[in-house]
Amino acid sequence: MTRPLPLTVNGRPHSLEDVPDSERLLDTVRWRLGLKGTKEGCRSGDCGACTVLVDGASTLSCLTLTHEVEGSSLTTIEGMSEDPVGRDVQEAFGRAGALQCGYCTPGFVLALVGLLRERGRSASVDELLSDLGGNLCRCTGYLAIVRAVSLLQKEGP
Amino acid sequence: MRSPRPDAREKLEGRTVFGVDLEAPGMLWAALVPSPVAHGRLKSVDLSAARALEGVVAISAADLASLLPGSTGDPDRPVFPSNTVVYRNQPVAAVAAPTLELARAAARAVRVDVEALPTVSDVEEVFPEWPREVPEKSEHIAAHVLAREGDVDEAFRTAETVVRETYRTSSVHQVAIEPHACLADVTEGAWRVRTSTQTPFGTREDVATLLGLPVESVVVDGTWVGGGFGGKGSALLEPYALLLSKASGRPVKLSLRYREEFQLGRTTLPSVVRMETAVSNGRIVARRVRLLLDVGTSLPGRDFTAGYAIAFLLGPYRTPAFEMEGYAVRTNKPPFGAHRAPFAPQCAFVVESHLDHVAREAGLDPVVFRAAHLWKEGDTTPMGQPVGPFGLPTALERARATAARWRADAGPDTGVGVAVGFWSTGTGAGGEARVRLSPGGLEVVQGEREIGSGSVLAGVRAVAARASGLSPQRVTVSYEDTSSAPFDSGVFGSRTTAALGRAVDEAVRALFDDLGRRLGGSGPIRLLEGPGELSVERGAVRATVRELENDSERAGGGIVASGRHYGRSGTIDERKVAAGTFYAYTDFTGAAHAAQVQVDRSTGTVRVLRYSAFQDVGAVIDPATAAAQVEGGVVMGLGTALTEEAMWSEDGRLLNPGLLDYRIPTLGEVPPIAVTFVEGFHGAGPFGAKGLGEPPIIPVAAAVALAVRDATGAHVTELPLSAERVARALKVL
Amino acid sequence: MSAFALVAPPSVDAAIAELRAGAPGDVVVLAGGTDLLFELDGAKAPRRVVSLRHLPWRTVDWNGPVLTVGSTLPLRSLERDPELGRHHPGLLQAIRAVGSVQLRHRATLGGNLGRAAPASDLIPMLLALDAEVDLVGPGGSRSVPTDRFVLGSRRTVLAAGELIRSVRFPEPRPSVYLWQRVRPANDISQIAVAAAYSLADGRWRLAVGGIPPRAVRVPEAEAALSSPTPSEAEVRQAAELSVRHLSIAPDRRASAEYRRHLVRTLLERAVSGVVADAQGGQR
Repeated sequence: MTRPLPLTVNGRPHSLEDVPDSERLLDTVRWRLGLKGTKEGCRSGDCGACTVLVDGASTLSCLTLTHEVEGSSLTTIEGMSEDPVGRDVQEAFGRAGALQCGYCTPGFVLALVGLLRERGRSASVDELLSDLGGNLCRCTGYLAIVRAVSLLQKEGP
Repeated sequence: MRSPRPDAREKLEGRTVFGVDLEAPGMLWAALVPSPVAHGRLKSVDLSAARALEGVVAISAADLASLLPGSTGDPDRPVFPSNTVVYRNQPVAAVAAPTLELARAAARAVRVDVEALPTVSDVEEVFPEWPREVPEKSEHIAAHVLAREGDVDEAFRTAETVVRETYRTSSVHQVAIEPHACLADVTEGAWRVRTSTQTPFGTREDVATLLGLPVESVVVDGTWVGGGFGGKGSALLEPYALLLSKASGRPVKLSLRYREEFQLGRTTLPSVVRMETAVSNGRIVARRVRLLLDVGTSLPGRDFTAGYAIAFLLGPYRTPAFEMEGYAVRTNKPPFGAHRAPFAPQCAFVVESHLDHVAREAGLDPVVFRAAHLWKEGDTTPMGQPVGPFGLPTALERARATAARWRADAGPDTGVGVAVGFWSTGTGAGGEARVRLSPGGLEVVQGEREIGSGSVLAGVRAVAARASGLSPQRVTVSYEDTSSAPFDSGVFGSRTTAALGRAVDEAVRALFDDLGRRLGGSGPIRLLEGPGELSVERGAVRATVRELENDSERAGGGIVASGRHYGRSGTIDERKVAAGTFYAYTDFTGAAHAAQVQVDRSTGTVRVLRYSAFQDVGAVIDPATAAAQVEGGVVMGLGTALTEEAMWSEDGRLLNPGLLDYRIPTLGEVPPIAVTFVEGFHGAGPFGAKGLGEPPIIPVAAAVALAVRDATGAHVTELPLSAERVARALKVL
Repeated sequence: MSAFALVAPPSVDAAIAELRAGAPGDVVVLAGGTDLLFELDGAKAPRRVVSLRHLPWRTVDWNGPVLTVGSTLPLRSLERDPELGRHHPGLLQAIRAVGSVQLRHRATLGGNLGRAAPASDLIPMLLALDAEVDLVGPGGSRSVPTDRFVLGSRRTVLAAGELIRSVRFPEPRPSVYLWQRVRPANDISQIAVAAAYSLADGRWRLAVGGIPPRAVRVPEAEAALSSPTPSEAEVRQAAELSVRHLSIAPDRRASAEYRRHLVRTLLERAVSGVVADAQGGQR
């Protein structure tokens, strides 16, 4: 329990001390690391607002024990502006007006970046949309998000 | 012309600070202690084990006198109950501790001794049948309303066709993805709370009433809001956080786990509605509506829902004779609260499905039948309000044309439904705004936070831009808390762009009057942009803003002007009222929608293929945010139509308090949605705008239900249209 | 302060030793954790959680016709395996039914099987594919067919100290997984049917899920299908027999009558789907 926990976060190495075994990655990110862009929604793995990337894979940080990801490379919304794909996604969302209250937005951005890493930068819009069922939005009705994904893929690298 | 929302960048970068993100040095974390039963006699609340934990502060009813000396609060709404608990999870105490984990452990350590009493969890437990006489004062009735016109009994006796049906609608929750959260800090007689709220001033008023404090001693500082939809429109957590802060002398953070969002949330509750319609010669001759509306523990004498909602069950339709009677029935649940267009989507589902059925039973075309009775401008509503400019007939024509096109190229097992709804926007609720003109631009200073729709940041900005002639890039909307902002009623009731917008419009007018006096001369005044500072021109006279400012204005940030808007309220035709209080609808706006669905004839699963929304919007102020409201409202309506229902056990326990078991729509379920604005039928808002936050959700469940009927003949009289309900109506079971 | 102690043994033997050292109920196994974590909050948490994250079981092995999946492989990795859809289309459908992409980046086949939820979307298909569960424990290794591995609702045959090492699929089969849910994504199934046809023995496998206590095969229904291309009448009869031989109760969301109706409908469609799929020359 008291062994230091190595974690690379948005490219920077950390060694976290005294992280309780029961601590969730969501709380480590938000309160221990002070990175509050990752949001707490349902805390039961159903809304996707807490999505981060663990070694590039989109992950529900509310359902992950922090110790389980020791040694891995974590990416949060704060790291997206340094990531060319992340920036593409943010720009497409901004241009398509794909956000209203903005609470689910970091989760969507991370989920999409994860999908593009996994499926390739030129994944089809349909493939991407079919993999976004894990992100809930209550404000937009999703259509602007669909338009953002279309915009994103038309304007590929 | 589209201008990007000013908040997009920071939200995309995750920099926006929401209520849940708040923290302060020395802060304690709070947790609520829930009642273990839905109804019970509270014998004792023992805080000793909680208080024994290091750093824990715990309070219950016994502490209120010392925390609030000399104040009475609201005797009907005690912050902590002393005698009786009336809904499950009702907070009976609250604790604060240095960590959230410790706070939750402390909350569990509080011993609540309660003697369970019989629980009422369903309106039909109170009224298994419609009562023959109005019951004497009953603790189970929060309100009784009755209005009538004409000889309804006679009309039913002599009509050609009479149709009687019963409908049931479910409880739906707002499900904003952001939970409620606040951070309270009480120092030196200032009760200050930062909170996620749609109504900073309303919350301040609420808190002051609940705690028995002078309003001026309460400061509410709103944060960005992660969606409200009515659920963040009044005080919920703030009183507890404030009391804990007073008790501990520290800032106190209270936020809800999502399970608690469902368990404590105030929202639309279930209803049972009896609809009866009499028709002769293709025309309605009389209608009777009987409503049993579950209002949870809403207070007798102070419940407004029945009187507000019941007339929506008549729909936007003329009828020569009617009788509508409703009971707001108390059950052991949290009190009924606002959802988006509270209860109106359910009413539209009921009235549209019923009149559609009535027409079919009478051998009439269902859409023609409804259209023949539809209000138009100049009509008077059943309760006596005049219908002003009303774009619904036009919207309906266009929806019908779309429906006809869709039917022409439809596939198997598909159907198209056309449904209408109307709304009375809250533009009567007043507000004030200030504008400040500086050499760099125009700032709107107001008291609302952006809750998501853009109505504050983009809508109000667009109004100010249009009113002043400036481009939106030169206009900013800034927020101030209740201690300094001009009063505004809140972001609810589809009133922001319209009512706050009017106040802003007035403020700009006042500004221009002032500029005119400073410039002298005559004629229209124009603000000129250009690459640098702003100038003002009137005919041949021109001056820069800087030149027109006096010294103190220059130091204070610019030339200030104020505006206010308080709508006139409508009146009820009291001759028609036999019991209770009705509410005058005002500022009518309409919506006509067309939905095409495909139904799996065996499983009853409904898929929405296409959707088209025609909105009576008065005037579009900001096209991007307007379209976004419609898309969002329609999809929320699809949830009400197909998948959302909060289910309660007999002992008053919410059975599905979570996002797995309470299903809102996901991305893959959303059809293409075409949005068309019907402009020109002007409303009370600036430039003739009508409110748009709520109207788009209203006809959705109705349109889907009628489409299902069109596809299969299945007539479902319950919401949501679950696959099983459709399968039953298809008689495949 | 933690409700439990989390240990991550570095080897299989160390993991087995950890499990044996704890009293039953006091020690639990953590793979992806997407189901387990709901039990780790608060008063009822177990005292010790044994993480399998260091064990070498994140593997996919195609060996001739046999597919062996390591128990701690994230489901998404199996889902993205380019061969899966070709050889086990129904298994791919079943995997895609589990939660969301994010969930499947952590959820595992071993975890899903070991937690034995009555509404598991994977167990019906494991039954239809005659999957064998490879176990390793203090007594060595053994293999158990899925229908003898899952005993009931959240009950398996795992002995003290035993772990699921892998799941083995003996042969590719035309297969289809169909479900009924409240919404199509990010949901659990109310009723599900896994249908597969074994080319090796020429017989059908039909499994029904969503019916507590556990997913089951319906041999009476299987027997009614006499060929790889059964007639409509046979398919209907198989559906009828399945409803007759299953004990289907109502649940909070649906009546028994409707659930029986779903079993009938989905079973007919799943069988037809396998036939159509096989005829489409996928194999």
